[in-house]
Parts: sequence; C-alpha cells; structure tokens
Amino acid sequence: MMEGPNRAGQTKPMIPPFSPVLLLGLALRPVRPALLQPVFDHMLKVVRTQHPDILERLEAYGERSVCIDPIDLPFALILEPDPANPRLTVRRFVDTDEVHATIRGPLETLIALAEGRMDGDALFFSRQLVVEGDTEVVVALRNAIDGAGIDLVADLTAALGPLAQPARRAAGAVLDLVSSLRGSVETVRQSFIAPALQGAASRDARLAELEAEVKALRKASRRGGMA
Amino acid sequence: MIRPELICPAGTPAALKSAVDAGADCVYVGFRDETNARNFPGLNFSRKELEDGIAYAHARGAKVLVAINTFPRAGHPGLWQGAVDDSARLGADAVILADIGLIDYAARTHPDLRLHLSVQAAASNPQAIGFYAERFGVKRVVLPRVLTVPEIAAINQAVAPVETEVFVFGGLCVMAEGRCALSSYATGQSPNMNGVCSPASHVRYVESGKGITSQLAGFTINQFGLNEPAGYPTLCKGRFNANGKTSYLFEEPTSLNTLAMLPDLIKAGVAAFKIEGRQRGRAYVAAVVQAFRQGVDAVMAGQPLPDINLDSITEGGRQTTGAYEKAWR
Repeated sequence: MMEGPNRAGQTKPMIPPFSPVLLLGLALRPVRPALLQPVFDHMLKVVRTQHPDILERLEAYGERSVCIDPIDLPFALILEPDPANPRLTVRRFVDTDEVHATIRGPLETLIALAEGRMDGDALFFSRQLVVEGDTEVVVALRNAIDGAGIDLVADLTAALGPLAQPARRAAGAVLDLVSSLRGSVETVRQSFIAPALQGAASRDARLAELEAEVKALRKASRRGGMA
Repeated sequence: MIRPELICPAGTPAALKSAVDAGADCVYVGFRDETNARNFPGLNFSRKELEDGIAYAHARGAKVLVAINTFPRAGHPGLWQGAVDDSARLGADAVILADIGLIDYAARTHPDLRLHLSVQAAASNPQAIGFYAERFGVKRVVLPRVLTVPEIAAINQAVAPVETEVFVFGGLCVMAEGRCALSSYATGQSPNMNGVCSPASHVRYVESGKGITSQLAGFTINQFGLNEPAGYPTLCKGRFNANGKTSYLFEEPTSLNTLAMLPDLIKAGVAAFKIEGRQRGRAYVAAVVQAFRQGVDAVMAGQPLPDINLDSITEGGRQTTGAYEKAWR
C-alpha cells in the first residue's frame, strides 16, 4: 500500500487523462468547495426523488461512506447513503482512511458508469477505475446506480418544468462543445509529448542495438568456450 | 436445425429492459437473497420488481426465468421453497434449480411450472440428466463448461427430447460447479450455499506504485502491473508461486466467447445459449446480447457470422473458447 493515506482531491494516485475536464479542473482550482456544495445538494435531492430505489438497494450499507474521486478535478465527494439522511459532501481533500471506500477515475468515466453507459467490471479490468477500501459497499453502490437507469441531464432538468427542454438543449450544446474540444485538446497533448516520444523512440532503438550486440557477444563467447 | 433461444442475464430491472430491448429471447434473474448464485450487494430483484419485469418481457415476447440455484440450508428450506412459490405466482416462465429436494418440491407443488436444471447441479452425462427428466419432469439442463462440442452433441442425442443449454459468453468456471469449495475455504462463503463466490465483503484491492494487489480474506490472489489488465479476485484465477515459478495454476483471467463457434453449437443440437453475467452492468448486457442476437440470426439465415469485437468488456482483456475446443488435450 502507498505510504500514508491517499488524499483524494489533492495528490491523485492516478494520472488524469489530458482532456477538457482536466482543463476545467485547473480552472476550478481557485473555487472554494463550499461554493459548489449547493450544486451537489441539488443533485442528491433530484436523484433521491427520481430514483428512490438507489437508496433502497443501499439500505444495508447506509452507515458506510464512499469517497468518489474524479481524478481530473481539484476536489472529491463523500457519499453517505443513509436512506433517512443521505449526504453528498464536496471536499478539497479526503484522506482515504476517513471513509470506508474510495472509487477513483476520470470524471467522464465516472459519469458514464453512473449512467450505465460503461460496465463497472470492464472499467476495473482495464484499470480505468480504481477501488480501495470496503469493496462490498462499492459493489453495492455500483449495482444500485447501474440499476436505476440514471440520465444525469434529463434527471437534473426534469424539475424545471417548461424550462426543462431549453435546459436540456443548452446542456446538449455544452456536451457537444466539450466533445469538439476533445480533438483540439488531443492535438495540444500530442504537441506537448512529441519531444518525449521522440526521445523514447531513440532510446528504444539504442536499446535494441545493445541487446543485439549482447546477444552476438554471448553467441561468440559460447562458441569460444566450446572450441 | 433448432433455433436456439438466447438466454440473457439481468441483475437489475434496468438490465432486464436492456436485455429484452437488445433481443433476448429469455432473461434470467434472481431474488435479492441467498437463493441464487449471484447474491451480490445491491443486486437482484424484489418480488415487485420481478412482477414488473415479467410484464415488461412478456409484452415484448420475451420470457423470464428465475434462478433459485443454491442449496438450501439444512433444516431451513422455507426461503428456497418460498422463492419457487413466488416465481410460479408471479408468472415466471421457468425456474432454474439445483437442489434435488427443491426440484422435488417444485415438481409436486407446481406441476405446471417448467423446470430447468442449473449448472450448479453439475449434471454432465446422459444418466444424470435422464434421472432428473424422468423423475421430476425437468425440461432443460444447463451443461457445465467443461465439455467439448462433440461431447455436447453426444449428450443431446442421448437425452432428447430433454433440451440442453450451454454458456456462450462471460466468466468461466472450470471447476465442477455446485461442488467447488475454493471460495468457502478462503472466506467461509460459497456460491453453492450463500450465492457468493469470493464475496465482495472479503475482497480488498491495494494500490501501490507498482500496480494493484488483489486480496481475498487476507490471501494475496494476484498482483497486476501498472497497465496490466485485471481479473476477478477468485482463488481459481489466482497467480501463485509454485515450484519457483509464478503462474496461473487453475485458470487465467479471461472471458468465454463462442461467437465464432455458434454454427458448431447449433449443429450439436443445443437448444439455448446462455450469456453469463448477472453481476455485470447494463452496458455489458446490451453489448453482448446484441452481438449474440446478430450471431444467432446470421447462422439461422445462412449468412456469415458478424465480426464483433467484445474485447473491451472481457475479463483480463482476453477471450477463449474454453473447453469447447479443449486445445490442451
């Protein structure tokens, strides 16, 4: 295990992908988590209202807390799924020994998991998702959320009445923008890492040469020994 | 040529809808308790959810099968018998059972309820299958994942008109199912009695700078390098040191995928193709069911098999045809 507790929200044990979300995260660094708390209070209220079955499935695990750590954002969330008084708290830092379990991954992956667009086991197998601590409550949370059929945009805008449709269109436009930015961000990433890649390729080629030389020398040495 | 049914997993009502919408002929589910072999946290159906799920499936021409495939605790069969009673009352199309006493109860109490024999019963020869069929009227047997295609064909010839069902995709279990005690040895809980193999309550993942270590009840099961695909933390898929060598002693982390073998399995007279994975998410269910729906339809129409890549959802990022080809013999 890593020395000392991992601190979600601060020193991320996973390297985040270079993405629009990471850039958003950098922009959010100066923002105090307390200012974001009302957003997550609203989110929890909406999910609780529209998907009561999630907390019902988590009833046996209500006293266990889970840190949800989007590795590309400068904060993490603590979910306490007590059916009577659920809480979703945003924090700058969370020590993993403060909570029963931690689930960690890029924000887009966590959202895709919540919406059932990606399979949790597959994300774990491919190492896009990291789980620490009490595996049981994480599995329960994953199953409860996957079974709820969450659509974050639709759920969060449903309470807006006549404004729901325009709000969904606006959210769709934002998601399209993020999607289109991804290509540009990837180009920037390639540009940044190009010198490093060239260096690595050069080292690989030199290594291959050395390996061939060693092999040839060993062969010659064996022949000499036999002779 | 028999048109095989596609039997698809669902751990939640949302997954049931995904399976039906993706083209499942049947969906198999379990109750939210130890009566089924996927008694996982946050998974499975309440009675009301099953009732609604059956209505959803039937309205779209699909069937619902209820797995009650663990072995009742000695002296306490009530929970299991109640599950059979409720399945019949709610209109399930069949129950999938393993325990001989429970099969007897179901056959006597609900003579019109269709009975399938679970893979947990480990019936792998015509004599065993014949006994369940003759004595209890079992209509279909789910075969263990240790038989070759010619062995399956021979069984089909011997047991007709009893139907056979084989696994075509998902997690592999190479042990004699229903009799494996590895999980029980490590954790005190097993799929046979408690419905859980390597229960999540006993699993820990430990991250380090070198990768991840999976532990089961304190036993180190495996260590995966930084970018190495991971697998389930079961003892049978552990990577251990033995005789100075580190290797997978029983089974590697890999998923069964028989998409390319569907023509052979259909020719062998298999009546139903089962997709493993009630513990998997909706995305898995939709992707695999769609792939096998296309595969079965293509074979039945005499067309080439579709080329569908399911790598991204496989365990360990790898696939195998398992014992069906038995390349190691």
